[in-house]
Amino acid sequence: MVSGANQITEGGIDARRLGQEESGDSSPARLASLGEGDTVRVRLQRFDPTRDEAPYTESYEVPYSKLMRVLDVLNYIAEDLEEDLAYRWYCGVKKCGACAVRVNGREVLSCWEAAEPDMVIEPLRHAPVIRDTVVDRAPHEERIKRMSPWLERAEPYPGFPERLSHRDMGGVVHALNCLSCMCCTSACPVLDLGADTDFAGPAPLVQFAQQALDPRDAMDRGRIALDEGSVFDCVSCYRCEEACPVGIPVVSAIIEPLKAMAYRSMPARAGHVGAFLDVIEGRGRIDPSALVLKTQGWGVLLRSPGRTLRLLVRGKIDPLKTFFGDAAKGIAEVRRLFDGTRDWKP
Amino acid sequence: MKFAYYPGCSAQSTCKELNVSTRLVADRLGLELVELESAACTGSREVRAANRDLFLALNARIMAQAEELGLPLMTICNTCTLNFFDAKKMLADDPEACARVNEMLGETGLAYKGNVEVSHFLWVLLEEIGAERLRELVVRPLRGLKVGAFYGCHMVRPPAHFGFVESRNVRSIETLNEILGCDSVDYSGRVECCGFHTAAGNEKIAVKLTGRHVRSARDGGAQALVTPCPLCHTVLDTFQAEMERDLEARLDMPILHLPQLVGLALGLSPRDLGMDNHMVAVDLPVGAPVV
Amino acid sequence: MKTMAEEVVIVGGGGAGTYAALRLKELGYDPLVVCKGLIGKSGCSIFAGNLVLSGHMLGTTDAQSEATMEYFTKWWNNFLIDQDYLVKGGSWIEETFYPELDEAGLYFRRDDQGDIVASVGSVRNIAANQQGQSGMLLMDRRRKQFAEKNIRSLEETSVTALLTGSGGEVIGVVALHYPTGERYAITAKAVVLATGHSDRLSTRSTGTREQSADGIALAARAYAEMCNLEIQWWHASDFAYPKTWDRMHVYPNPLVGSTESARMYNADGELFFEQKTDAPVGLAPYATQFKRVGEQVAKGKARLDGGYTTSYAHIPPEVVKEYNYHAKAFEKVGLDVGSDHVESAVSWHCRQGGVHCDPHTMETSVAGLYVAGGIGGHSNGGIGVVSFDGNIVAETIAAKDVSAWAQPELPADQAEAEDGRLAGLLRPVPEGGVTPMRIKNKLRQLMWDKMGFEKTEPGMSEALEVVRSLRQQAEAGMGLKNTTPNFNYGWVDAIDAFNMIDVCELTILSALNRKESRGPFYRTDYPYTDNENWHARNILIPTPDGGVEFRVEPYATPYLEPEFERRDYFDVPW
Repeated sequence: MVSGANQITEGGIDARRLGQEESGDSSPARLASLGEGDTVRVRLQRFDPTRDEAPYTESYEVPYSKLMRVLDVLNYIAEDLEEDLAYRWYCGVKKCGACAVRVNGREVLSCWEAAEPDMVIEPLRHAPVIRDTVVDRAPHEERIKRMSPWLERAEPYPGFPERLSHRDMGGVVHALNCLSCMCCTSACPVLDLGADTDFAGPAPLVQFAQQALDPRDAMDRGRIALDEGSVFDCVSCYRCEEACPVGIPVVSAIIEPLKAMAYRSMPARAGHVGAFLDVIEGRGRIDPSALVLKTQGWGVLLRSPGRTLRLLVRGKIDPLKTFFGDAAKGIAEVRRLFDGTRDWKP
Repeated sequence: MKFAYYPGCSAQSTCKELNVSTRLVADRLGLELVELESAACTGSREVRAANRDLFLALNARIMAQAEELGLPLMTICNTCTLNFFDAKKMLADDPEACARVNEMLGETGLAYKGNVEVSHFLWVLLEEIGAERLRELVVRPLRGLKVGAFYGCHMVRPPAHFGFVESRNVRSIETLNEILGCDSVDYSGRVECCGFHTAAGNEKIAVKLTGRHVRSARDGGAQALVTPCPLCHTVLDTFQAEMERDLEARLDMPILHLPQLVGLALGLSPRDLGMDNHMVAVDLPVGAPVV
Repeated sequence: MKTMAEEVVIVGGGGAGTYAALRLKELGYDPLVVCKGLIGKSGCSIFAGNLVLSGHMLGTTDAQSEATMEYFTKWWNNFLIDQDYLVKGGSWIEETFYPELDEAGLYFRRDDQGDIVASVGSVRNIAANQQGQSGMLLMDRRRKQFAEKNIRSLEETSVTALLTGSGGEVIGVVALHYPTGERYAITAKAVVLATGHSDRLSTRSTGTREQSADGIALAARAYAEMCNLEIQWWHASDFAYPKTWDRMHVYPNPLVGSTESARMYNADGELFFEQKTDAPVGLAPYATQFKRVGEQVAKGKARLDGGYTTSYAHIPPEVVKEYNYHAKAFEKVGLDVGSDHVESAVSWHCRQGGVHCDPHTMETSVAGLYVAGGIGGHSNGGIGVVSFDGNIVAETIAAKDVSAWAQPELPADQAEAEDGRLAGLLRPVPEGGVTPMRIKNKLRQLMWDKMGFEKTEPGMSEALEVVRSLRQQAEAGMGLKNTTPNFNYGWVDAIDAFNMIDVCELTILSALNRKESRGPFYRTDYPYTDNENWHARNILIPTPDGGVEFRVEPYATPYLEPEFERRDYFDVPW
């Protein structure tokens, strides 16, 4: 059972953040959760696929040291306790992105995140485990490579320094912060679906966006976002943004602009986007039946007639409204907004 | 207490019962809802991606309508809520875009100023009505009822708006459940994605993503899931048969809109609250109201 | 053991190694890069915070241009540099380095009007997006150029030995891919060591995990001459806590987008160093800072491992946050970059010296063996300079037309012996034995204690004895808690431990031979900078009997003369 919070006091609660205080869900609270003389208790997932049948857990106790990071805990186990442990890190200061693990189910860059009193440490998800917390980065790198991660210019390079403003760079600046740590890819639920999706996952898409959103680039990135990224399989759940250790707005600054490029490059391959726009322009509001008919065609009704009938009976779909219904009030004003923004370019 | 009310598209088509139950509950609570009748769609996810200016214009128009009434804006859909939040932030950060949008709105006599407060019905219940008043109004405490919260994504993430380091720490629906007298069930799907936003093109992702969470709720003893979002409801309820086929297991999990659960506790009847309109039958062991 | 036959093998995937590979590719070669970490994600190149403007770039004036030369010669290399090399490097950086990166898409930070944002002062610098991010983004670009140009690499592969021919020339390498335990014997017509200048040889160190001075150890075993190994640079304003942030720098350099630089305060809150006023030409004033911290330590107002602070509090926080990548580090540990000071400490940073080479060809004293970048004993690094080295070494190899040479034959006996040595290191800890980590920890503590700011003759001699006893201990009974060949970093530690032992020994021997104090190198028994005798290369020559010999070679001064013959160490500003 999940406890109901009792923190409501009359006058001035912030319902959006209910639960935050009681769970110590903030950077200051986490910093304050350990102090001198404390012990950090770690349960670490161990697994050597060449020797073990299944992952198992080992426990360690580590004395707290000032401002301790998760990596300090791992280093203590390997360097001070001299225990065997496969873990990867290079820089130790949020530059290389190699040390990401999951702590209590959450993706963190271990050099960056504060240690917690009790930690279950596991490898990232959606990547093959080499040993213990070390994952194989090769599939991720291969995916990036397939998306041509270099600039292709329409015009010859004009010489140094090239004319370019910070404002021109727009969302690229967010993408440049990417450490390729794969935290977001580990957190992405779509990648749980395995062979049911060809979604590249957020991490390769952010790397791809470094070129795709660059104003100097002239390659047809929309096509690549579709062919190599399956970008419309992103469900917009924002797990990636929650996981990103450098705070990249992955959905809004990276994936949505890539979706826009994909739609503009190959509108037929992004049929549902056009359908949404058409339905809203036509009616002001979304009529899901009209939308589904537009994107999936009439065959959708026949694919599962029983379901169509139940939807009708429960009032979930309304053919009269779909075919003969009026547009929402104010539709003329809404269409004016469509007309006024038709020239917008990403 | 008075709000400009934005029901959104789903509550006026596939989830009419959400609109109906919101109005009934608001009435019981003494909330006056002034519906923005000529408001259009906030753009779902697709318009945001395809045309940023259009997205800003659609949202600014609705927010300007609320500003004109001088009322805070109340939503009942997660995605609409986040769209308003994002549009508000983008318009504040980009004065040029804001000016372009206002030029268009000006033609119809509207002006977006950016001072509108946007709140979801869930937050209105907890912040404006308050626990104490809600407890007084509960005439049918939902004792023994085991409910799982399905928050959806857009009221708990991205962290830039909601401030959680980990969205799983959110407790607003569980807080409400406790006020209404029911038990909250922990399960895998509390703050997970229903996949709605890929479903128009291909429902497989939604079915696969969500089925496992409904099963987890069932395994955890939940008798119903409650959600503050009609889009989550659409997937959880309308696609549940597909999830059962995919998982080769019975789920039989009733999915309640948030105001339906509140309405039950306030003594309204399941039929009045539109529970007959669901694809998965709702037959909950709740007693008669106690006056 | 897999065998491969290559024309050119480049050991190291940092700024020098990657540029050498790109340039060789351009010149028609197909080099193989062997990188102990991940290309563009390990090593010290990702730490390059600033990109120093040379020549007359972006409106740099004559005076600033001259100051840049002075900065490189005096403040950056303490005169231990071939000045002709530096002049050539400066024009290469201006004519090739910046345009090549700009064209490849590296984003030099602009303002909204489109001008590149630079620091203000005697010597100017710019940044790729943010100060502190330059090396990361530059190296990430290199990684992507490798993908674009199909440059072959073996990553997470440690080169464990050099193969040599009958005349002592280098003809290949043996390497261990530690994620799988696979071993490689690779013959090559040219081997380029580009393993960097920053190594984790001391308790607090900026070296990344994998940096254990392998290149120096490998070259020394091939009897390559070494130069100025003892001149060890330190960071003097790194975070004192948390432990892993011993390399998190509070930049003392002029801050891009501002007229200011960080300030350092002692335990009593007294300001004791600020680049802007105390070393205006010393753009990266690490050696000077280190000297000043040393003075505070002597006064009891600081410790090498903490007890003093650094701060940006006098700079508008929005400027720091806009242009400095490390501003977020303050926030992450609950500090306000706009008002708080961060407790600081010194960290072993990089060698000024390294493998002795001709800086105009990058040839070492051993045929077939080349260097590029910070491993060379010719200059302190700096990502522009090390890229220049990559250019030189590529052109040297191409000019020799190695394509036309016969492929060396694999010396099977050497390859087998090395394979056997590696297999032998993958053994359980013997009775009474130690783990390699124990050896590493002891070495690092020893170097911290005896080779820190204040070096004494007895202290160094004692350190030498301890290093030698650690070698005996490692040879007699070192083993692992787990003998899996699968991503067994303990195995890598075992290989590293022997490399570190050798390099610590050579470093101490070099330090004992330099009888003066200079830059960050301070001996209490020779507390003066002696340009008369020691404005010179301190060349160490390994001999086949396991000993060393020395040769001292003065530097020419075609452009800039040291301004004195001999002066008290603490009176020299650089």
